[in-house]
This record gives sequence, C-alpha cells and structure tokens, in this order.
Amino acid sequence: MLALPIIACLIGASAGAAFTFIPRVRSIPSHALGWLLAVAPASAFTAIVLHVPQITAGDALTWRIPWLPALGVEFAFYLDGLSALFGLIITGIGALVLIYAGYYFAPKHADKRATGGSHAAALHGKPSLHTTAHQTNAHFFLYVLLFMTSMLGLVLAGDVITLFLFWEGTSITSFLLIAYKTKDEEARSGAFKALFVTGGGGIALLAGLLFAAAISGSTDLMTILSNGDALRSSPWYPVMLGLIAFGAFTKSAQAPFHFWLPKAMAAPTPASAYLHSATMVKAGVYLLARLHPTLGNTPLWFWLLIVTGGTTMLLGAIIGLRQSDLKGMLAYSTVSQLGALTMLIGEEAPTAFKALAIGILAHALYKGALFMVAGIVDHETGTRDLRRLGNLWRVMPWTFLICGIAALSMAGLPPLFGFLAKETLLAAELEEVLPRLTRIVLPAVTVLTGALMLAQAASLALDTFVTRPGVGWPAARHDSEDGRAHYALHAHEPPAGMLLGPAALAALSLIITAFRPEIVVGLLASAATAAYGAPVKVALDLFHGINLPLILSSTAIALGIVLFTLRSPIRSIPNARALNMNLIYDGVLRVLDRAADIATRTQAGRIRIYLAVILTAFFALVIAFGGLWRVFDGAALANLSRRLFDEPFSTQTALRAFGLILAVAASFVSVIIRRDLLAIIALGSSGLAIAVVIALEPSPDVALVQAVVDTLTLVVLVLALSRLPHAQRRRAEELNDSGIQKWNALLAVAGGALVTALCLYAFGSRPRTSLVTPYYEQNAKPLTGAADIVGAIVVDFRGFDTMIEITVFSVAGIGVFSLLRYAMKKRETAGLPAEGEIESNLAASSQRPLPPTISGIDGGRTSPFIRALGYVALLLAFILAVVQMVYGHDQPGDGFTAGVTLSLGIGFWYVVFGYDEAKQRLRFLRPGLLIGAGILTVMAGSTAPTFLGGGFFSPFDFGAALGLPLPEGFYISTSFLFELAICLAVLGAATLIIDTLGHPERDLE
Amino acid sequence: MEIIKAISIGALFGIGLYQLLRRNVIRSAIGLSIISNAINLYLLSVGAYDGVVEAYAKAVGQRSDALPQALILTAIVISLGGFAFVLALLYVIAARYRTGDSDEVKGLSH
Repeated sequence: MLALPIIACLIGASAGAAFTFIPRVRSIPSHALGWLLAVAPASAFTAIVLHVPQITAGDALTWRIPWLPALGVEFAFYLDGLSALFGLIITGIGALVLIYAGYYFAPKHADKRATGGSHAAALHGKPSLHTTAHQTNAHFFLYVLLFMTSMLGLVLAGDVITLFLFWEGTSITSFLLIAYKTKDEEARSGAFKALFVTGGGGIALLAGLLFAAAISGSTDLMTILSNGDALRSSPWYPVMLGLIAFGAFTKSAQAPFHFWLPKAMAAPTPASAYLHSATMVKAGVYLLARLHPTLGNTPLWFWLLIVTGGTTMLLGAIIGLRQSDLKGMLAYSTVSQLGALTMLIGEEAPTAFKALAIGILAHALYKGALFMVAGIVDHETGTRDLRRLGNLWRVMPWTFLICGIAALSMAGLPPLFGFLAKETLLAAELEEVLPRLTRIVLPAVTVLTGALMLAQAASLALDTFVTRPGVGWPAARHDSEDGRAHYALHAHEPPAGMLLGPAALAALSLIITAFRPEIVVGLLASAATAAYGAPVKVALDLFHGINLPLILSSTAIALGIVLFTLRSPIRSIPNARALNMNLIYDGVLRVLDRAADIATRTQAGRIRIYLAVILTAFFALVIAFGGLWRVFDGAALANLSRRLFDEPFSTQTALRAFGLILAVAASFVSVIIRRDLLAIIALGSSGLAIAVVIALEPSPDVALVQAVVDTLTLVVLVLALSRLPHAQRRRAEELNDSGIQKWNALLAVAGGALVTALCLYAFGSRPRTSLVTPYYEQNAKPLTGAADIVGAIVVDFRGFDTMIEITVFSVAGIGVFSLLRYAMKKRETAGLPAEGEIESNLAASSQRPLPPTISGIDGGRTSPFIRALGYVALLLAFILAVVQMVYGHDQPGDGFTAGVTLSLGIGFWYVVFGYDEAKQRLRFLRPGLLIGAGILTVMAGSTAPTFLGGGFFSPFDFGAALGLPLPEGFYISTSFLFELAICLAVLGAATLIIDTLGHPERDLE
Repeated sequence: MEIIKAISIGALFGIGLYQLLRRNVIRSAIGLSIISNAINLYLLSVGAYDGVVEAYAKAVGQRSDALPQALILTAIVISLGGFAFVLALLYVIAARYRTGDSDEVKGLSH
C-alpha cells in the first residue's frame, strides 16, 4: 500500500489538529506532544524502509485511484529510488524535528532560569517564541504535519496533476509556518514573499506540466517519462522547459529568485531546519531530477541549469560569509548548496548523478543538524547574532560537539559525508563529456565555493562556541563584560530530547561514510539511476588515491582556512547594492499594487450596473450569434402574416387582446408611478390581467393558480415594503441619474425587441402536433380517473416532479424564515424572541403580551366590520380549499390553489388583526408541522401503492378498495392524498413566509 | 393574435428589465415578477394546439394543449417560492445595510 506513508502523516496531522481544538488535550506538555506526534512520520519512515529492498532491486511501485477519469487524471503514486530517498529524508528528519520542536516550544525548563532567559531576550530585543506561545503551539505541529503530507505526496506523486496539488500544498504550509509568529511584521512579510515567489513559480510549473501532459498525451508521470523524444523534439520544448524550470528555480531558491529563502528564516527554527533546508527547498531539485530523463540531455537544459546553478552556488556562498545571523548564514549556505545540486542535474554524466544523490543526503543531514543547533543556541541565549555569541563550549559541550561534527561535514572535511559530497561534485565537473570551458570554470567556482563554505562552517562553530564575542566582526559592538558573563551564567545544555535530533543527524553524517556506507549505497545508487535514466554505480569510499579532485579539494580547504582567518576584513567590504533582489521584488509589488488600483477603479461597485453590463453583453452575443435573421425567414413570416389576416375575429380574440394590453399597461404604470405601494398594486393588476388571458386560452387551472399566486405575491410584496426603509427608497428614486436611466431604457427596449423577435419566430415555427399531449388526453381518464387532464399530469403522470416542486416551495419558505430570523438575530434586542426552532419561536412570540397600541397593518385599529369580514374570509377560504381539493380531479383547482387560498385567508387576518393578535388567534397553526406533514403524506401516499400491487406513484383508489361510502365525484385516491399533501405543505410554507415577512420590525426605521 | 401576443410578451419583458435595473430594490423585485409573468405567458403560447375548449376529458372540440399548462403550473409555484426568498434577501439587505437602495449595498457589512 503505497499511500501508507501519506496516510500516516495525515493521521498525525489530524491528531495535531485535534490537539489544537480539544481544550483538555491542549494541556498536554509540548515535549510529550512532540514525541507522540513523531509516531506518524516514524511509521511512514518504516513503511518506506520496508520497500527499500524491492526498490534497490530495480522495482518501482505504483498505486493509483481514478480521480477525474474524463480527463484521464489519476491520483497516482509512484515509488522508486529517487522518491524513496526523498521520502526517507522527509519522514526521518520529520520525526526528529517534531521531537525537537516539542522541546523548542516548551516553556523555559525551570523557573529559576526564566529570569535569565527573558532578561537575555529583553536585552537583545528579540522576542523569543517560547515565552509567549505556549497555548497555541499545537498549531505548529499541525502545520508541520500537513507540510509533511504535502511534501511526501509531492515526491511520491505518479501523476503531474497530483504532483502539482501537493506542490502547492507545500507552498501554503510553508507560508503558514513562516508567518507562525503572526505578530511579527518581519515574519508576515517574509511569509508573503515566500508565497509570492514560490506560488508564482507554481503557476508556471502547472502550465509547463500541462504542456508536457499535452505533448505526451497523458498526465501520468510514467507516460511523460517514457516520451522523452517527443517532448524534446516538440517545438514547445523551450517554453515548457522554461516554465518548469521557473517553477523549480523559485522553489529551490535559485538566483535570481533566491531572495525569499533568507527572509523565510523568520519561521520558528524547527520549521527552518525542516522546510527551508532539508526538504521543501529541495522540491525543485527533485522535480528537475525527476524530469531529467525526459527533458534533459539538450544544450538548453545543460546551459540553463549549469549557469543558474553555478551562479547560485557562488552567490550564496559569498553572501553567506557576510551574514551575522546564525540562521541567515545557514540560509545562504543552503542557497549555495541548492545551486550545486541544480548544476549537477545539468551535467550529463553518471558521476554527476552520483554526486547529486550523495549531495542531497549529505546536505540534509548536516544542515538539519546545524539548524537545530542554531535553534538550541537561540533558545538558550536568546540571540542568534554571531557578533554577540561566543565562548559557549564550556557551558554547552555536547551541543558544541554536535555542531562541530556537522560543521566539519559542511566544510567538506574527511571523514565526513560532506567531504564525499564535495569530492564527487568536483569529480563530476571534471568529466570528459563536459565542454572544455565548463571543465575549467566549474571546478574553479566550486573550489572557491568550497573555501567559502569552509570559512562559514568554521565561523558557525568557532564564533559561536569558542572565540570571544565580537571577534571576527568589523566594528562589532562588543558586549560588556556583564553580557559575556551573562551567557556563561545562564546558558546551559538543553534537555537531552532536544539534542536528540541534531545528534542523530550529525552522527549519521559520520557513521555513513566512516563505518557503514553499505546502509545507504543501494538506495543512493537507485536514486541516481532514476534521476539519470541509466544505471549509475555509487560507492562511498573516502579515498580514491591522489587524484585531481583530491588536489582541488585540498586547495579549497587551504583557501578556506585563509578566508576564515581573514573573515573580519572580508566582512568590512561594503555590500553590493546591485545584488539586492529584494529591491526588485518590492518594485514588482508596487507595480502590482498600482495595477490592482487601476483594476479596482473599473469596478463601479453598484449591483445594477454589473447587471446592466451583463445584460448588454448578453444581448450583444444574442444579436451577434443568435441567428436572429431566421425571424425574417420567408416561410415563417408568410406563415405568421397569413394567420394574422386569416384569423377570424371573435369575442374571445378581442378579449385576449384586451387582457394583454391591460397587462402591459398595468406593468407600464408600475414603472412610472411614484409610490411603491401603488406600483405593487399595478403589478397585481398586471398579473390578474395575465390570469384572464390564461383563462381565455382556455386553461382554467393555470388561470386559477396565476390568480392566487398573483394575490399572494402582492401580499408578500406589501409586507416586505413595510419593512424596507422608506426614506432611502425615496432617495434612490430621486438620485437616479438620467444618463444611466437612459442606458437602462435602451437596454429594456433592446431586450423587449429581442424577446418579441424570439416570440415571433417561435410562434411561427412551433410544431403543430405534439407527441406527448395526445397520450395524456387519451389516458388521463382511464388511467388516473381524472377528467382534468392538467390536474392528472400534475399529480399523476408527473407526480414525482410535483413532489419535488412542493419540497422546493417548502424549502423556500423555511429559507425565508431562517434568513430573516438570522438577520433578526444580528440585530437582536432584548424584547425580541430568541432564534431557534420554528415551533418554539412561534410559540414564544405568540405568548408575548399584546402591545396596546399596535393593531392592523399600519398601526390603526381596524373597524369591527372589517374584523368580522376577516373571520368570514378565512371560513370561506377553508370551504373553497376543501372543495378544490375534493373535486380538483374533475374541475379546475388543485391542492396548490387550496393551500394558497387558505394562506391568503390567514394573510388577511395578519392585515386585519395585526401581527400579534393574529399570532395569538392562530396559535394552533404550526407551519413547520404542516410542511412536515405534507411531505410525509405525499411520500406515504405515493409509496403505499407499491405494497398494494401498483408501482411507486401509481394511481390507487383507497376509498374504493376499503369500500367506503363516498359521495359521487369524491375519491380517496393517491391523487387526492397528493392534493391534500400539496395543500398542507403549501399552507405551511406560505404562512411561514407571511409570518416572517409580516413580523413587525419596529426598530428598523 | 400571435403578433399582439409576441409584442405584449416583449413589452412585458422590457418593462421588467427596466424595473430590474432600478436603484430602488422594491422596483427590482417588481421587475423580477413581471419578467417571470412574461416568460410563463411565452411558454403557454408555444403549445402545439390552439385550443377552443378546456383540456378536460369530457370536453368536445379542440382542447388546449395540456402539457405546457402543467409545466407552467410548476413554474408559477416555483417562481413564487423564489420570489419570496428574494424578498427575504432584500429584507436582510435592508437590515444589514440599512437601505433600500441597491447602490448603497457595497462591501461586506456585518
């Protein structure tokens, strides 16, 4: 199971998250948490280790599940030597870092020293994390574990889309970790910088990978890897390579994009040790190594990687020596090392890939150890400033020993791993296959870099632990005797658990080369083979006899010692401003800000203008591509005109025309009239006129529904009107600027003309026979027993539709309720009922005492005559509803009309009696219950026939089956139950709407 | 008749659009309602049969097309539900932004 390591890390991350959120667990001491969570990467490490024998034997494991089958994208994993090398580094160092971080975040180990620690912190103006962030540091573990998951996924990905997904995951988690100290301005800007650079690279990478996928025909990594010739010979090759290399270079901090990495050092040191030296920054290297067999071995590849890598290597080493911050120096040396790795991938020789595999592992080991040591020093003394540090070896001998071993490896001295890395690096650069120029330039650059690295390693170890503070720094602000004594007094060895991580890594650097090379040789060889694309032999012998690499290496060592002794004068050379990429970065950000400013200005921020723009664009599209010319097609036009003139004049036609004109006129009145209430009434008349037109169609069922719905619309609009601030509406009308209004009018005319044209075309060309309608007409009576064909379609033939329809209507009612209750909750005042269940809410509001003054919709007391009318109206509505339901089968009318009619009667009560009184009188009305009852009834009624020999929704006459004596024309059938259910649900939803919209919001205006 | 109908539907649609684009949110809601009326009318008119009598089993003569009628029935109900929801949204806007003017609705307010 190849996904096992990832799953293990994810489980760890979830555990971390749980620790963050569960208050009781949050009290687990930080160091215990570190040990506990380290189980996740440790088990992932074991899982990969178990696969190693298989991999070194030459197998590659794959595991895939379909993800987007339509696009051929899979969630695929692939484990070979290269993935395994990275996977082991990620999980192994990950486990150590988690343990280390547990101690790093623990509160200062004893109170008696806390004064010293905080004093030191205060003295140097560097707030140290562990004094403040005790409560929240479980977040750190969560982020680290999430990062670990992403990073593992990245190196195990067997599909380029999967790879990209995890690639972005590492960028985001890196952002979160750098900005971990959220109150620190530098941390935030550093995090943004890192995200900006690596995220931009990520987008380029995606484009490049898509190119590769398009050319090779699959997003599968294996297919891409086996299609090298097609990719290399494609005309898009330079673009694709440029995009992918951009992604890799930004991620791996290659010049000129290296500037984000030193700023990322604002992250807590465990994160820097893990992400920004051992793992994440190597993602770019991994990607290039992974794609080398398919994209490499071209002049472009060679020169791009050699020049970029070589420049980065030298630049990082030069700037690094000038750093006074421990972590800054480590960051630049990391940049330098990443440059070396990139350069190696460019070289087309087996030795180069051997050097690559060795370099990756060696660097991860010593740099991880050194970062953790830097964290310990910071933790113990409160500073990372090399100018202030010194002489710590007496109080921290073990730390010094670990630092010394790791630094020797970094310096490239035998018998440590770093020595081997440098030797093979030099050997690779002297390969015969390389052009003559590079065979001279690269070794020279490498020797210089090696010397600079040695000087830095010496400075790291000696300036921290041995020399007196300030030595080796030009014009250093020498600490007073007190300050020096201060460290001697208060700094001491960290707890053993904190030393475990760096000690293990440093020890490995020594053990692997000096004693047990065989434990990694096989893995390194298969990693190098995977990256090179052909078998590579790896041997870790320290001594190959006196050869050119050894001579060069010795030169580098000698030069390095000279540089170290001269470090003070070198550091006093002023900085070269031109090399400062941060200035360019700031410039880019300023330009972007300006562009965003301009883009924002095109946004009016007014909803109706957006709408107008959308409509304009839509109409333009319809006019351009909608095939409007067909309207003027001869046949359709002739057809129309013939029918226009041939149509016999009848009363019905005249009435229809009258109804239509009335509808249009009433709508037009709603535009020009000033008062909103009158406009609403005009809308109501328009809707009723349309009901008349529909009735003349003739379709009485629809006309009935249209009439009641129109009335209900009117009621809810009036209710809403009373709740919208009046003054602003009025002002909105007055402020309407005429320019926009003219444009709107033009849009309206255009829209109207378009729709007219569409109608003309549709009417002229509509089919004159229907395939479906005759079936319904013939079968309505025999199959469903309904004479009303429309009713039969609604509740029988298309009963399922209708069931969903009333569900939607009910949901709309509940939606209105919850929206308004939510809005009310926001403005909750003490007197209003609390939000909550529908029932409890309605019950609560009905128990409120009647306010003495409020009655009727606008506050005035209504006359007894009108009140009596209210009672009668509801009674009449009830009778009407029952009749419609019972006889809707053969007559116009149905459950929906019945429900709306009843709700209108109830709405009338709200108007006549006022909200509170109506509420009290209708206490028995439970909208939620009604909706539930309605939907349950329809479900029960439609399912019941399946037990009685029919199908789901098949018509069944329960009354006849039970032999009930029922009056003629009344059947207790599935359709009657359905009508009843519709009536109940609609009544519930409609009263809910009326009730919530009618709720008096007295403090609104 | 069909030409009158086409022009009427177009006119209703245009009026609805104009109302929709106004600043006063109540007018926008009215516009929405007019547009849905226009569309229902359109759907009803594209039925295959120009009926003389109602679509009842017992009726004699050319019945009106029952299928679009049944579909419009659903459409009317759903648009009522949607319309009520729009009104509720307008109310929420009024409560949050304290305005009935769509131009005043800017940015995120709590």
